[in-house]
Amino acid sequence: MNPKYRRLFIITLIICTLGIATQLILMAIRDNIVYFYTPNELINKYGINKNIKNKIRVGGLVLEDSVVKNKNFVNFTITDKKDEIRVTFDGQLPDLFREGQGIVAEGFFQNNKLVASQVLAKHDENYMPPEVADALKKNGAWKGDK
Amino acid sequence: MIPELGHVFLVLAFVASIMQIVFWTYHINSFNELALDILKKSALLNCIFILISFLILTYSFIISDFSLLIVSNNSHTLKPLIYKISGTWGNHEGSLLLWVLILSSFTFLVSYKKTHNNGELLFSIIGVQTLILCLFLAFILLTSNPFERVSAIPIEGRGLNPLLQDPGLAFHPPMLYVGYVGLSVSFSFAVGALITGKINKEWAQQIRPWITIAWSALTMGIALGSWWAYYELGWGGWWFWDPVENASFMPWLIATALLHSIRILETRLIFINWCILLSILGFAFSLLGTFIVRSGLLTSVHSFASDPSRGIFILIILVISVGGPLILYALKSSLFREQKLQFNLLSKESALLINNLFFTTATATVLIGTLYPLFLDAFNGDKISIGPAYYNATFAPIMAPIILLMAIAPFFNWGKGKSKNLLKIIAILITTSLVSVITLYTIDGSSIFAIICGSLSIWLFVGVVSDLIIKFTETKIKLNKVSNLFIYISKNKIGMNIAHLGVAIFLAGVTGEQFFKTEFSGRKNIGDTFSIGNRVLEFKNFETINGPNYQSEMGIFTLHHNSKFIGYLKPEKRYYPTEQTQTTEAAIISNFLGDTYIVLGEGNYETGWSIRIYFNPLVSWIWAGAFLMALGGVTSIIQNKKTFNNATKVSLNEI
Repeated sequence: MNPKYRRLFIITLIICTLGIATQLILMAIRDNIVYFYTPNELINKYGINKNIKNKIRVGGLVLEDSVVKNKNFVNFTITDKKDEIRVTFDGQLPDLFREGQGIVAEGFFQNNKLVASQVLAKHDENYMPPEVADALKKNGAWKGDK
Repeated sequence: MIPELGHVFLVLAFVASIMQIVFWTYHINSFNELALDILKKSALLNCIFILISFLILTYSFIISDFSLLIVSNNSHTLKPLIYKISGTWGNHEGSLLLWVLILSSFTFLVSYKKTHNNGELLFSIIGVQTLILCLFLAFILLTSNPFERVSAIPIEGRGLNPLLQDPGLAFHPPMLYVGYVGLSVSFSFAVGALITGKINKEWAQQIRPWITIAWSALTMGIALGSWWAYYELGWGGWWFWDPVENASFMPWLIATALLHSIRILETRLIFINWCILLSILGFAFSLLGTFIVRSGLLTSVHSFASDPSRGIFILIILVISVGGPLILYALKSSLFREQKLQFNLLSKESALLINNLFFTTATATVLIGTLYPLFLDAFNGDKISIGPAYYNATFAPIMAPIILLMAIAPFFNWGKGKSKNLLKIIAILITTSLVSVITLYTIDGSSIFAIICGSLSIWLFVGVVSDLIIKFTETKIKLNKVSNLFIYISKNKIGMNIAHLGVAIFLAGVTGEQFFKTEFSGRKNIGDTFSIGNRVLEFKNFETINGPNYQSEMGIFTLHHNSKFIGYLKPEKRYYPTEQTQTTEAAIISNFLGDTYIVLGEGNYETGWSIRIYFNPLVSWIWAGAFLMALGGVTSIIQNKKTFNNATKVSLNEI
């Protein structure tokens, strides 16, 4: 190839690759983003009896005395001290899961409850997931030292 | 008293580095050998000061001097010695001290290396390195002093996060830092070239070992981190596309691109500007990684107690040390003269060019996935997370063509030469890959992606092996003695082949782990047996045990494979009273073909325990592959050093 064609070749290649990559990124972002809500935000946005097509994350405190363990799944309630969302989960709870602890649950919202595929709690006892801390601060329900 | 001494040495290093920078800027236009010599010696001085300071901090951790804030916050008398030592860098302040220690050591090593009539470049390199060192020392002294005292000395420390008390993790940060900081050397080479306005093939030959060292260390560092996450977090996975993982992965991708493009520069002296840009970007991504991890923008086990002022400080360092060179680049990059060379579509140049294009694009997809949630949050307060699904849909399809190319590119020639073996090789590759497609298709539970991923691995494996065989027949060595194998290795440059073989093995591991993993979870009590495929597990017993600084609940299981006894599995739940933290210790029986991985959940004698079991085929190949990649890097450094030395010897003889 002489330099003129080489440049043309390189530019075409760059445009093609970047074009395909952009397309892939846009598609992936549209389909695979997981939004985070507090129970209050979720209810304000979708109301109570609505199924949500995309996966979501809900964060808040585990309501005291709400944890019910069954043979193969566990039910509990997440609260932001304003609204509550019921969660059902069939996997293994993280080590730091306990009542009153800030957690984030990820899954699909169906029939007025969150069917979680993952429950996240933080490694550190003193630690609040920042989304949860933010949301609770907004509600005035929690005044942490952070 | 001793810790104050550590602080004094750190201040000394800071003051010395400021003086060196003043000296350097003063002499930058009037370079002479004496000035270079002074700068070289002062680089050694910095290194010694920081080393003393670091050793003093380590000593404080070993003797558990709780009058120091970070020791009392992160250590405990009952902790085993190795974790007392690794505790030195298991916190924000100490890890930064390690960072500058490695930086100053690299600066010293660069200055120590003999250069032939390239003093002016070296002068600039040391200057730039010292500038970075100075910024980071300022950062430590102003925001994160490791030698801060507490007014009321506690009797006992608060302990180290139990997740970090692990041999894999003791070596993960130093390895990763060698990688991050190693990229500063290629950065300084690039800035040095911009300052002096000179670049040649020798520049590329000198920069290459440094990129390779950094790249190999980064590979090992990332692999160690992933291995740790796999056995310690108890989630059964090895890579989660967590922002912190991405922060270390992006510099790796850029370094990989640079490692390949520098080959073109070295042999052909083209794409000079591109290589310089990549060198700057590589270190920029290292700093971005440090910023993401240290600023507390993201939550993970890596974000130690975070403080917004620290984040801003790192951002300032990032802007100065990347913005400056980029301006310099814009002003001066047009000065470099490239050779006017022609090359074919099927040439090494084209292949390496495409490699670079794809690697940088892949970096961009990871960057967007990592930063987009942060931007969206800052922009309109929407909180989102981007998980593996995004990366599977973007990163993976971009990397697939790279693997296709990787197998055949080594058979291309430079420039306009025709490749002799190419058609034959492609025929072999297509045949073997078709066989592997059909084989994978017949395996239970295989999907289209499993077939693609597995066949790419075979494709690459066959490509690498063919290249090795061709090199073998060309060197005409008979393999009747083992020693001949060493002759073969010493006569051929096989670093690249080893690294590419590593990629093939890594891909095989990924195929097994991603697509053929089996999982079981449920509640089981003592005496229960359960089977996964032809593996049978039996829950034998449950015990409580006291460890050195924890209490443990342990389940005891036996594993039989095809009715043959394989071994015991003892998953634990540990409680660390000092840290008031519970951790899960997965039990793993690992072999060549796959891992049996078991996690014990909560439970009691009445209800049984919740138990999760994974069978992860070929998962250890993932880390074996990464290790081979790093080994390939090291091999190529050694082999190049040899040829470089031989070449200089020859030229000296000619004189």
